[in-house]
Amino acid sequence: MRALSARLPWARGAPWAPRASALAALALGILLALVPAVAPRDITLLNLGFFTFLYVAQGLAWNVLGGYAGYVSFGYAAFFGLGAYTTALLWLAGWPPLATYPVAGIVAAAFSLIVGVPTLRLVGPYFSIATIGVGEAMRVLMLNLDRITGGASGLNLPTAVPSKTWFYTTSLLFAAVAFAVAAWVRGSRVGLGLMALRMDLEAAESLGVRTALFKNVAHSLGAFLVGACGGLYATFLQYVHPDTVFSFTESISLVLIALIGGLGTVWGPVLGAVVFYAVQDYLQTSYPTFHLLVYGVLLILILLFEPKGLAGLAERAWRRMRGAPARLAPAGPSGAEPAAPGRGGAG
Amino acid sequence: MAPLLEVEKIAAAYGEVRALWDVSFSVQTGEIVTLLGANGAGKTTTMRVISGLLRPLGGEVRLGGRPIHRLPAPRIVASGIVQIPEGRRLWPRMSVLENLELGAYLPESRARRAQTLDWVFSLFPRLAERRAQLAGTLSGGEQQMLAIGRGLMSRPRLLMLDEPSLGLAPILVREVFEIVRKINAEGVTVLLVEQNVRQALELATRGYVLETGRITRSGTAAELLQDPEIKRAYLGM
Ligand SMILES: Nc1ncnc2c1ncn2[C@@H]1O[C@H](COP(=O)(O)OP(=O)(O)O)[C@@H](O)[C@H]1O
Ligand SMILES: [Mg+2]
Repeated sequence: MRALSARLPWARGAPWAPRASALAALALGILLALVPAVAPRDITLLNLGFFTFLYVAQGLAWNVLGGYAGYVSFGYAAFFGLGAYTTALLWLAGWPPLATYPVAGIVAAAFSLIVGVPTLRLVGPYFSIATIGVGEAMRVLMLNLDRITGGASGLNLPTAVPSKTWFYTTSLLFAAVAFAVAAWVRGSRVGLGLMALRMDLEAAESLGVRTALFKNVAHSLGAFLVGACGGLYATFLQYVHPDTVFSFTESISLVLIALIGGLGTVWGPVLGAVVFYAVQDYLQTSYPTFHLLVYGVLLILILLFEPKGLAGLAERAWRRMRGAPARLAPAGPSGAEPAAPGRGGAG
Repeated sequence: MAPLLEVEKIAAAYGEVRALWDVSFSVQTGEIVTLLGANGAGKTTTMRVISGLLRPLGGEVRLGGRPIHRLPAPRIVASGIVQIPEGRRLWPRMSVLENLELGAYLPESRARRAQTLDWVFSLFPRLAERRAQLAGTLSGGEQQMLAIGRGLMSRPRLLMLDEPSLGLAPILVREVFEIVRKINAEGVTVLLVEQNVRQALELATRGYVLETGRITRSGTAAELLQDPEIKRAYLGM
């Protein structure tokens, strides 16, 4: 009996899975990082990369609370906007943009605690509704604080900006950091607690999971990353306006990205952001509202057929390719496979 | 010696619905105490108050003399009480091992989880065999074993079991009671809520009877087994 536990993998899922996933992410990241070297003058491509990575980073950030813990927030624009304005004001005060991003993240994270400590006590649906209110209230407040935010005319920012390559690479770095954070949380004790509380809050509490604390940690972690993204976005546009950076559309985008990609999965927001931005970029210019219909259809398809979104589809395809049988049980939070032999037993 | 657990005059309600009036009892270190009563008597509510899932309206709960009724649930687990909930409340889509890991979630229990896991696996060898399996694919008996094992992962001083034999075949009921005896023999004090009154009283040191939110009878297990009122109401004699 002794030392039985020593050989046990405490890590969730198949032991090779996190490592394979990390290697795939690393390879993809390196490949993408080489793009500016190959096509340094392709502004369209670099801009496409910039926006996609920015959405990848934010989708991953949103998913920590929204996907792992199941607390769906429609208010992340508040973090994005606060980050954007923090960078804007510091940049105007003479800071180099890069130095402002951590501050943007901290401001957003601090605000997330102010919002989260009271609202994360609510059960899921009530929390979601509260976040809509908070997001909209922030937008209106910022519109009216025109001394600081420029109000309805926005703020023009310095015109000396870094190169497109710099933006592309920094955005990619943000996505990489967000991926590392999301993957680490999912495999950690914190992630296990978040998934446990999503499925049974009271059982988690009664075993010693400090659910209120972990929900707030997840929320502020997400807010930090989204705030930093807001800062980077402000630098890129050289302009901030409350209606854009605090917009409800921004909040909804993050929810859509995670849902399309796969709630609570690590790769989901990556795939989701790519599809989301591709659809938006191609359709919005030619048919201004058509993309909304496409998202609607995608959402319905996901809810009906594959709750784990594109990541779930990809996993299924991967299994089929390897000739493995389809899962016996619905996908667990762990991704652990049910052991086939000896089911049933004493019952 | 002071009792390990003292429940003193607790009252509790769900919104406007009063569930407990003036419940007092105690559990000595090393004992198995059983809380008996019909459906809806307030047994689960009493346990929820003790484990911090429900705030009492009044009264006190003390563990080793220290009041705990104002602590949040995780702190109560840390102080040494764990509740095996009615209906098991496992995470069906997590593996056996993940469920056990959640039982050792507190930093103190986490530090010792490897040893504790060996102990739990020695009590429940079947869980060791099925450790990679999803909890939802276990049989009913195995699920109950997992629920108990998960609770033990916190190394409790007091183990509270809420109807552990619920929905199990008679042979498995006996197995569950045997396990409870074994756990108790290893030094864990037990508070047991059961519908199987006879078996509970055969296992327990002492018992209390709860009726519509009030304690109406108490005594040693032998006394309660002989009590004509209990024979009539709970033992069908
Ligand atoms: N969540 C709840 N909301 C409202 N009333 C409840 C709830 N849980 C239990 N009750 C009521 O409290 C009383 C005691 O219930 P409970 O403690 O579950 O009894 P027991 O465990 O002895 O069967 C019952 O009248 C029951 O209807
Ligand atoms: Mg009950």
